[in-house]
Amino acid sequence: MKLLIKQAQLETGYQYEDGFIMGTAIAPFDILIEDGQFKQIETAIEVESDMEVIEANGQLLLPSFREMHIHIDKTYFSGEWKAPIPITKGILTRIEEEQILLPKQLPFAKERAIRMVEHLIANGHTHIRSHCNVDPQIGTKHIDITVEVLASFKDQITYEIVAFPQHGLIRSAVEPLMRDAMEKGATHVGGVDPAIVDRATHRSLDTMIQIAKDYDKHIDIHLHDRDTLGEHEFHVMMDLLQQHDFKNNVTISHAIALSDLQGESLEKLTKRLASFNIDVTTTVPIGQNRSTIPIPYLYENGVHVSVGHDSLTDHWSPFGTGDTIQKLNVLIERFKFIDEYRISQSLKYATGGITPLNAEGQQVWPKVGDAANALLVDAVSAAHTIARLCPITTVISKGAVIHQENVELKGAYR
Amino acid sequence: MSQWLLNVRLETGEQLHEDGSIQTTTNLFHIEINAGQIAQITVADTAFQPENAKDMQGQLALPAFKEMHNHLDKTYLSLPWKACRTVSGLEERLHYESLELSALADNCEQRASAMIEKILGFGSNHIRTHVNIDPYIGLKNLEGVLAALDKYKDYVTADIIAFPQHGLLRDDVPNLLREALRHGATMLGGLDPGGIDRNIEKSLQTTMDIAQEFSVGVDFHLHDNGHLGYYTIDKWLDMVEEKGFNGKTDFSHSFSLGDVTVPEQIAMAKRLKEHNVAIMSTVPFNLGRNIPPIDLLTEHGVNVHFGCDGFYDSWSPYGSGDILQKACTFADVTRKITERELRQSLGYITNGITPLDGEGQMQWPRAGDEASFVFVPSSCSAEAVARPPKKRTLMNKGKFFN
Repeated sequence: MKLLIKQAQLETGYQYEDGFIMGTAIAPFDILIEDGQFKQIETAIEVESDMEVIEANGQLLLPSFREMHIHIDKTYFSGEWKAPIPITKGILTRIEEEQILLPKQLPFAKERAIRMVEHLIANGHTHIRSHCNVDPQIGTKHIDITVEVLASFKDQITYEIVAFPQHGLIRSAVEPLMRDAMEKGATHVGGVDPAIVDRATHRSLDTMIQIAKDYDKHIDIHLHDRDTLGEHEFHVMMDLLQQHDFKNNVTISHAIALSDLQGESLEKLTKRLASFNIDVTTTVPIGQNRSTIPIPYLYENGVHVSVGHDSLTDHWSPFGTGDTIQKLNVLIERFKFIDEYRISQSLKYATGGITPLNAEGQQVWPKVGDAANALLVDAVSAAHTIARLCPITTVISKGAVIHQENVELKGAYR
Repeated sequence: MSQWLLNVRLETGEQLHEDGSIQTTTNLFHIEINAGQIAQITVADTAFQPENAKDMQGQLALPAFKEMHNHLDKTYLSLPWKACRTVSGLEERLHYESLELSALADNCEQRASAMIEKILGFGSNHIRTHVNIDPYIGLKNLEGVLAALDKYKDYVTADIIAFPQHGLLRDDVPNLLREALRHGATMLGGLDPGGIDRNIEKSLQTTMDIAQEFSVGVDFHLHDNGHLGYYTIDKWLDMVEEKGFNGKTDFSHSFSLGDVTVPEQIAMAKRLKEHNVAIMSTVPFNLGRNIPPIDLLTEHGVNVHFGCDGFYDSWSPYGSGDILQKACTFADVTRKITERELRQSLGYITNGITPLDGEGQMQWPRAGDEASFVFVPSSCSAEAVARPPKKRTLMNKGKFFN
C-alpha cells in the first residue's frame, strides 16, 4: 500500500538571533510511504491512482511515541472512578490489596486493557511496553490476557511484555510461574525491589538474570529502593550481569536512587550503567517525597532515558493521562527548559531517541528508508508541540494511518 | 423570568467501604435560577418539565473557579508561537522584557482577550491580574487589560493590580502607581523589596503609604527566598499592625516560607492568620524550587489560593491557564491520592468552597448562593481534581459562557 502525505511541514534547522536559537525553521514537503517505510520525500510528488492521500494542510510531521512503562493488565481505566486507599505499610499495602483486588478485576481486565491500548494509540504511541503481573493469586492469567490483547493490535503497533513478579520473585515464590510466562510470550523478565520486597537482594537479582538467560529474554526491573540501597542493587545487578555474561537488553524502571545520589557516586554509577548499555525509564515524578532522576545528565552521559505513564488510574495512583505530549511538558517544566532548543531536543525521551533535528541542528529525520511511524500535529515545531500541548490529528504506524482526530487547525497561533 | 437547569449532578455525601475506601455519593437535581442566584434546588423528577430549562444530562456541578495570580498583559497568545530566551537571572529577564514592552503594549487588549477566553473556557469566573506599571509603558497595559476585561464583564470579575514589575523605588514609579489606581486598578502590587528595590523598609513603607492613600488592598510578588523573604513578610506585618492598616494584604509565591524551619513556618502561619493574609501560589515544581508549606498553612487557617501566573510569554513558554490542572498538580506534588484529600484540594481554586465539607457533609450549593458553576463530565470532585476533564462549561451568575 502507498500512502502519500501532502504538504506536511518538516523541521529543517534552527533559527538564530544573536547566536541564540530562537526558533525552528520548517518547510512543506510531500512524503510517500510504502511498505512501512518512507520512500520519497520531495517538495512535490505527483498523486497516482494507487496512493491513499492525506492532506496535511501544513501540519507538522513528528516521530511517533513509544510508551515504555505501563501496566495495561491492572487498571481502573474505562471503569468507575475510584480513589486509592491510604498507604499504611509502604509498598506492602498495595501488594496485600492486590491479593483481593486483582482476582475481582479479572472478569473485566481484558476489556480495560483494550481500552487502554486504544487510548495510547489515540495519544500517538506506536509502541507499548507493558508490565504484566505474575503473582500467586493471578498466576499467569494476566500474561494470557496481555498477550491476547496486544496481539490483536499487532497490525497497528509493536509491543513488548514484561512478566512482572509484583509480589516479589522470592517473597511470593513465583519462579516457576515466571518461567511459564516466558513460554507464554513474555519478552522481558521483570523484577521489583530485591531488598525491600524480596529481602533477598543477591538471590533475587541472580534468579531474575538466570531466567532471562535460560529463555534468551530481556530484563526490565522496577527499582524504587532509595539512595545507597538502590545504588547497591544497581551495582550488584551489574556484577551479576557480568558473571552471567548477559548480552540482551536491560532496563531499570523508575531507578529512584538516581534522584538521590549526587557527585561522585552518581558519576560512577552513571558511567557503569552506560558501559553496560543499561537504559532507564521514568514517569518524571513531581511528588515532594521523591525527586526526579537527572534525566538530561543521564542522557548526556550515555544512559538512554525513556518516559512512560505507568498508570492511567488504578489502586496505586489516581493520576495519569496517557498523553505523552503532556508528560514531556511536565519534564521541561521540571527541568526548567524554557528555550526552543532544549524543549525541542526533549522530544527524544518519548520517541526512542529520534528527533527531527539532531543536537547540532541538522535534519536527521525523516530519511528515506526510515520506519514510517509518525504523527501529524497542529504545531510549527517540536518545541511548540511540547510547550503548548498541541494536538495530534493523525497517527501513522507501519506505514498506515491508525488514528485520526478532527481538530480545527491554528498552526503557529495555537 | 427564572431559568431551570435540569439533571445536574451534585455531591450529597460519602460512603465508607469495607476496603477502607471512601466513595462520594451524588444525586441528580433540578436547579432554579433567578437574578443570578439559586432560587431553589429540588431532587430531579422526570415529570417536571418547566419552561426555559436546559438539560445538563447528569453533568457534575462544581463551584466556579478563581484564577488568583495572572498577568493578562504579558501573554503572547494570539501572536505566533515563540519560546523564551534563557537568562542568567531576574535582572537579565527584566532587561529582555523591557526591550519588547512597547511593541507588545500596542496589542495588549487583543492578547489579554485571548488569555481571558482561555481562562473562562477552563472554568474561572474571577481573575486576579497583575498589570505592569513601569517607566517603559506607563499605564498602556492597564488600558488594554481594562478594555479586554470590559468585554467579558458578564462572565468574569477581576482584581486589577498595579504592579511595579521593574521596581518601585525608581524613576517616578510611585506616582505612576497612583495614576493607575486613579484609572481603574483596584489593588496595589509590590515586588521583592529586598531583591529588586534593595531597600526593604523604604519599599514597604512606600507601598503602605500609597495603599492607605487609596484604601486599596495589596498583593506582593515575593520571590526572595530564605530569611530575606521571611523577614520581608514579617516586617510588612509589623507595619500593618503599627498603621492599623485594615486593607486586605496578600503575598504571591512566597517561596521563602518553604525554605525556613517548621517552627518558623508555624510562627508565621499564626501571624498570617491573625492578619487575614492569604498566600497565592502557582505550585511550581521545577527542581530545586521550594514551595510554601501549603498543607501547614491550611491547617493553621491561612487562606491559600492558586493561580496560573503568566504563561506563553517572555518568562514562561508553558502553563496553560487551566486552574483545575493546577489543583491536580498540587495533589500530585503533595501526594494527595485519597478521595477526601483530592476532594478538599478543590478549595484552593474556588475561594475555599467545596461541595462537601471535610467530614463529607453536603454544604454547597444552597438556595441563595450565587448561580456560578463549572459543569464537568466527572463523577465527583475528587475525580475532577485527579483527572481534569477537557470539557468544561462555565456559568457565571446564571449566564452560560460557552
